[in-house]
Amino acid sequence: MPDDPKPEGANTPESAPQPEPAAPQSPSAEPAAPVAPATAAAPPAASAGGAPPAPAVPPKPPAAAKPAGAAAAARPAAPKAPAVMAATPWESELTADLAAEFGDRISAFQSYLGQNFLVCQPGAAIPILESLRDNHGFEYLVDVTAVHYPDKPEPFELIHIVYSFERNERIRLKTRLKDGEKAASAVPVYITADWLEREVYDMFGIEFEGHPNMKRILLPDEWETFPLRKENSILKMDQRWVQENLGIESGQ
Amino acid sequence: MKNLLKKIFLIDLLQGLRVTFRTQHPKNIVTEQYPQQRPMVAERYRGAPRLNINPENGQTLCIACDLCSLACPENLIVVGWERNPETKRKDLVTFTYDTSRCMFCGLCEDACPVDALELTQDFELASYSREGAIFDRQTLEEGIRPTKYRF
Amino acid sequence: MPGTFLDSTELVLNMGPQHPSTHGVLRVIVKLDGERVLGTECVIGYLHRGVEKIAENRTYTMFGPYVDRMDYVAAVSNGLGYCLAVEKLLNAEATPRAQAVRVILTELNRIGSHLLWLGTHALDIGAITPLFYCMREREYTLNIFEKYCGARLTTHAFRIGGLQYETYDGFEKEVLEFCDLFEPKVDEYEELLTGNRIWVERLTSVGILNADDCKAYGVTGPMLRAAGVQWDIRKAMPYSGYDKYDFMVPTRVNGDTYDRYMVRMAEMRQSVRIVRQAVADIPAGPIMAKVPKIIKPPVGEAYVSIEAPKGELGYYIVSDGSTQPYRCRVRPPSFVNLQALDKMARGSLVADLVAVIGTTDIVLGEVDR
Repeated sequence: MPDDPKPEGANTPESAPQPEPAAPQSPSAEPAAPVAPATAAAPPAASAGGAPPAPAVPPKPPAAAKPAGAAAAARPAAPKAPAVMAATPWESELTADLAAEFGDRISAFQSYLGQNFLVCQPGAAIPILESLRDNHGFEYLVDVTAVHYPDKPEPFELIHIVYSFERNERIRLKTRLKDGEKAASAVPVYITADWLEREVYDMFGIEFEGHPNMKRILLPDEWETFPLRKENSILKMDQRWVQENLGIESGQ
Repeated sequence: MKNLLKKIFLIDLLQGLRVTFRTQHPKNIVTEQYPQQRPMVAERYRGAPRLNINPENGQTLCIACDLCSLACPENLIVVGWERNPETKRKDLVTFTYDTSRCMFCGLCEDACPVDALELTQDFELASYSREGAIFDRQTLEEGIRPTKYRF
Repeated sequence: MPGTFLDSTELVLNMGPQHPSTHGVLRVIVKLDGERVLGTECVIGYLHRGVEKIAENRTYTMFGPYVDRMDYVAAVSNGLGYCLAVEKLLNAEATPRAQAVRVILTELNRIGSHLLWLGTHALDIGAITPLFYCMREREYTLNIFEKYCGARLTTHAFRIGGLQYETYDGFEKEVLEFCDLFEPKVDEYEELLTGNRIWVERLTSVGILNADDCKAYGVTGPMLRAAGVQWDIRKAMPYSGYDKYDFMVPTRVNGDTYDRYMVRMAEMRQSVRIVRQAVADIPAGPIMAKVPKIIKPPVGEAYVSIEAPKGELGYYIVSDGSTQPYRCRVRPPSFVNLQALDKMARGSLVADLVAVIGTTDIVLGEVDR
């Protein structure tokens, strides 16, 4: 039975301790810039004023990052500088239109690696999607997904990716959600969201209000945990379900 | 009109049948009779793992650096070593490779600095038990011995 | 016309998970009125392995082999999408030589994937012969993969930053030989199927999905193009040097099952065209760009998508600056395309449901991940 010592000896050092210390590190450091516009409603002026200076620093790392491959000297600088995402503001006709329409319900227009995204207030996502579809030609909802940042006051980030065939442009919409807070469903706007939102619910436990069929999609209906939440380690699974239905001790 | 005639004279079906009969010609047969006819696998084929031995002195090439086990996504390699008091170097004692979980991705092979661990062209990895899929150092060095069948 | 002559009661029928025409472990709960489908509901997740969770617990390099196992029919495409996404995060780009080889292998893989689709789809409809021919030609692409990277199905051919393996001796020759051999074979399949009256009658006007429906359901790939939308990520947002090659994006107008068949056949020819251009001009040079040995992208996120054989395959990766992805989301084309099954099958006959499942070209490994 040389099989037994391996999973234990091998999996624990690799899966359990490594990601956990890594995860708190960055979120604790992160609220500094990219989240500030999203979460902090109190200092909106500060974040709006703070956004331009922040990119003033970051443009260096991306610029340095390219030659970093060749110049070894530049490489140590690259990991140090961006403890936060070095996003730059995004301005175009579209952002002007959206800003005029939604005002402060959109807290930031940003761009990272040439990919544009906007951060909006919780209730604003669906109206924005509707406006994007009807007025700006974003007919195709590419994806709905979420990211879990357990250490933040609003731990979930809901992401809608939309694409416009006419403009050949893809943008992302980000919404911050509190734990247990319900999000509005995008199904009335895009039918695609049906399964995608069910998957988000399945993996993160974010419920969508107004969804026609809010239940699990990939996991069994009786499953109890939400696997992609960071507190659930890769080894942890629904023991009860596994024992009842599969008759084995655990999944491994 | 042309289409109607085609339909009446079953042209479309005859056309398809022509292809079928053409392929039945013996020189167009591509099926391999596997156990009798051994397939030639490619030189770079990623099959059964092997621990290479230095042909000059029969010593293992492995320096027990553990890089393969760190590179393995499935964590299925366990390298056992002890420090040699004379040479102050690590000596390989055991080497376990669990092929039952192996994806044959080749990352261990890439990680090996001395080309000791190698995925070979042997592809007959079936075994009657789960334990049989776990290779120890001896199996890895000598190579797998699949059951030979006679026909 | 349901219920016109006889008031038959509704029948709920379970199709799958073990049903030969569901192409894997897909379970469809079909509500029937006689032979007519009133509604379908897909039950998926039988192959769920938690790939996204695995990604969060593996380093960027280690996760490479896992992506091959989502759409195992098009493993090379999966690998390409993942490598491109991580390269985007690293702000690196593969070398020209690596890009050319990537294009060749990805297009060969597209041919292989479409061939497998064609064979099984024809088998669903009742034509057994094409399966053998398709498998025969697919074998040649698999042999090229085997010679190039050592594996046939789950290839793990690409690495972040370029390629692990240099092309083998005679690679170009073998690929060109395949192109020469394959082009007449496409004609052969068309000879068997395109004009065949059974094939035509079974497929035309079955599972219609027009352009607006496609967009509303997020359907991409050949299914979208069969509805007349000329959209291909290789053209719209070129990656890996696809802008250098001259190829067409085939479209059709009706958006029915027959049109999807025609689009995929035309796509195979276009793939051959791309492969020929790419092989003729593989630039010399290194195969690996200068990326660090331990991949640690800066904090940030990127969504990168490619045109996989089945549609838009996207990777949304969030990096927290460590060696492991903080979040790796895969946008699977099969999963989203399968959602339109209900729309396509409603009102059709049970026998057509089989055709509709076949025409969506799903791979359950990717649907369930």
